[in-house]
Amino acid sequence: MARINDVGGMTGFGPIDTTDDTEPFHADWEARVFALNSALVREGVYNLDEFRDAVETMPPAQYLAASYYERWFHAIRVLLVRKGVVTAAELEARLGGGGGGDGGGGGGGESDG
Amino acid sequence: MADRFAAGARVRTVHHDPTHHTRLPRYARGKRGVVIEPEGRHPLADVSAQGRGDAPVEQVYAVRFAARELWGEGEHGVVLDLWESHLEPEGD
Repeated sequence: MARINDVGGMTGFGPIDTTDDTEPFHADWEARVFALNSALVREGVYNLDEFRDAVETMPPAQYLAASYYERWFHAIRVLLVRKGVVTAAELEARLGGGGGGDGGGGGGGESDG
Repeated sequence: MADRFAAGARVRTVHHDPTHHTRLPRYARGKRGVVIEPEGRHPLADVSAQGRGDAPVEQVYAVRFAARELWGEGEHGVVLDLWESHLEPEGD
């Protein structure tokens, strides 16, 4: 079953944006999401393939609406709950109730500034 | 375990459609290509993505496809890194 990430060769997305964007992060929270994911993989909480899987299984409408690091943050939340590090309720409480658990909230309350 | 394919081997990708993560993209399924070189052995991502610890460790190959084979047009080549499980020998 094709997932929303697997769009190679699909028409309608327009030309590829080849702008040379040298800034790796556009907000501090993006750098924190990057570092958090690196630490969780390094500590063996999950592997990089599980992370990719979690990104790919975002609901398509959320996936397309989310930014790159919003997708990463979604995957981290899904995996932290799946691996039993935190419960969905704990996460939701810490995120101010806007995020939701598995499959919820494209970027939650963590949208860019 | 010996590599199944050598540089220059003609291969065809499998035509699977799994519900789980796969490193074989949809546009490259059932397509003919040529092995450029082996790139080293790695756990099969399709299995390790499921959180399983029993992913087979396989050779990963750089495989070149003609753009025309993938897209029906274009004169360039496209190189993909593909696990051995996703490749079958193509008769010559």
